Amino acid sequence: MIARSGWRRLLAWGLVALAVWIAACWLLRLAANRGPAQRVDATPGQIERGRYLAAATDCAACHTADGGPPLAGGVPLNSPFGTIHGTNITPDAETGIGRYTAEEFFHAMTRGEARDGRQLYPAMPYVSYRTMTREDSDAIYAYVMNQPPVRLANPANSMRFPYNIRSGINLWNLLFADAEAASASTGVSPAWQRGRYLVETLGHCGECHSPRGALGQVDRDHPFAGNASLGRLAAPDITPQGLAARGWATGQLRDYLRTGLSAPAAASGEMLTVVRLSTSQLDAADFDAMLSYLLGDQPSAEAAAVATTQSGGTAAESGTATTTNAASEASRRHYLALCAGCHGPDGEGVPHVAVALQGNSSVRDPDPRNLIVAILDGLPEHDFVGLDRMQDMPGFARELGDAEVAALASWLRKRYGRQASPVVADVVGRLRADATTP
Amino acid sequence: MSDPRATRPLTLHVNGRRHGPIEVPGDMMLADVLHEYLGLTGTRVVCGQGVCRACTVIVDEPGRSREVRSCITGAHHFEGKRIRTVEGHAKRDASGRIVELSPVQQAFLDHYAFQCGFCTPGFVNAATVLIEKLRETPVARDEVEAAITAALDPHLCRCTGYVRYYEAVRAVVLATPGLVREGA
Repeated sequence: MIARSGWRRLLAWGLVALAVWIAACWLLRLAANRGPAQRVDATPGQIERGRYLAAATDCAACHTADGGPPLAGGVPLNSPFGTIHGTNITPDAETGIGRYTAEEFFHAMTRGEARDGRQLYPAMPYVSYRTMTREDSDAIYAYVMNQPPVRLANPANSMRFPYNIRSGINLWNLLFADAEAASASTGVSPAWQRGRYLVETLGHCGECHSPRGALGQVDRDHPFAGNASLGRLAAPDITPQGLAARGWATGQLRDYLRTGLSAPAAASGEMLTVVRLSTSQLDAADFDAMLSYLLGDQPSAEAAAVATTQSGGTAAESGTATTTNAASEASRRHYLALCAGCHGPDGEGVPHVAVALQGNSSVRDPDPRNLIVAILDGLPEHDFVGLDRMQDMPGFARELGDAEVAALASWLRKRYGRQASPVVADVVGRLRADATTP
Repeated sequence: MSDPRATRPLTLHVNGRRHGPIEVPGDMMLADVLHEYLGLTGTRVVCGQGVCRACTVIVDEPGRSREVRSCITGAHHFEGKRIRTVEGHAKRDASGRIVELSPVQQAFLDHYAFQCGFCTPGFVNAATVLIEKLRETPVARDEVEAAITAALDPHLCRCTGYVRYYEAVRAVVLATPGLVREGA
């Protein structure tokens, strides 16, 4: 008897439960939206501390649109799962976070759950912020809640099915949010510990620089090993070994993270924003702590070996070994025709005009992606922190075919980057095709 | 790398005339070859790093013409290509004397578009490329201003003659039949 009607009864009860659940969620959200607008009294010291921490966490990169009001949201973030937008986090009660208490703010920051119970997409780096202290969260809260409120509704997101079902993120959190992260470097000193908090938690560098799995989860076993799947430009390997292999030591990293410009590279795109809004704002002690963590207390044996063998000029040594065959002669001519006007006849660069290609970080990168993208698309003009500026770099997608770009990139890598492995034309073709379908 | 300054023979086609082959250093930019080897000094070098566009010349390809910055593009890149410089726009008689300016050049004079004139060769070439592009693909009347802005925007003029350049080009576009779509 139970067998005959049992499943129907079960289904009926299930439907009732579902209806109650939906109604409860709806009521809860309604209630949540109706809480009192918060007024946060804080000392100037607390607000200043919060401003500093908000720079360290780089809130504005995602929550202040280009030319838009500060922290009012609207920055589109593209992901393999669709486009979402940084939200309005001004203290406006209707469209911002004006009704959040400090408790709710901390919960959203570290657990990724909004005040009304909605799950935030993990584009909000709450997994990185999970280790943020309550004290720091409260300071950021005090700062944000004392900024001018802006009434600006959040733009609709365009996530693809099934990623547009937010409750699915609960499952994602269950699987990935609590995973223990390996350290990117080794160290024990207080500076290293502080650096770890600045880099891993506040700076959330791993969100872009760590590889991700099929469901977008950060690969916590290979922190900072690089990620080419987030944007047109890859976030390169920033492990101590990876940095050393591309010519980065303390001095170069210091220049780069302070101004965006250093001997091995000029920061472009999102990274220049990170430097402008975040790393350049850190005080001296925190800045040194960040470098300590990125490079480790003691350079690893591997990194030290790389650094020793690669110190000194990079071009001269590899240049003598260059065999003059037809392909390399064609690339050499392309270089002189299209690149040398700004980068110099032998890749030495021109100060304030174009970076040196000798020893350039992207030329030395085992992954040729960023070099190819720069050749195809060019680069936007650079407005560095401080007085330095650099003009835009023209792209050569129309000028050069896939095979020509591949040959030129291979020639540059071999001559200026110690990368012997040639670039394949198919790789160039795929990156060219990607550019037309953003 | 073998010496980038080592010379190679180069043949250029400039303003309908063949030059060369001449021995030109491998790393020499086109602007320098125009000045030093061909005596065509109308092309101006101002910033020398590809920002101001004063050095812009025209490269004619089948079906279209386009702007190229001669100060940052190696001369050997132009082997086999057809180049137009500011010297190539006006009509000349058999002795080489100018008898008639191009419509763009005349409009720049009529509108007092320039003062010191150093940026003018680049503006002449940019406006000429625009006119030729519109001849192939005309735009609607209400798109004319945007098309002119897009074409002239990268060019810098330190005497700030922008408005007069702009007005001169608009006058040419509107006065030349076939550049603007009728009824649009």
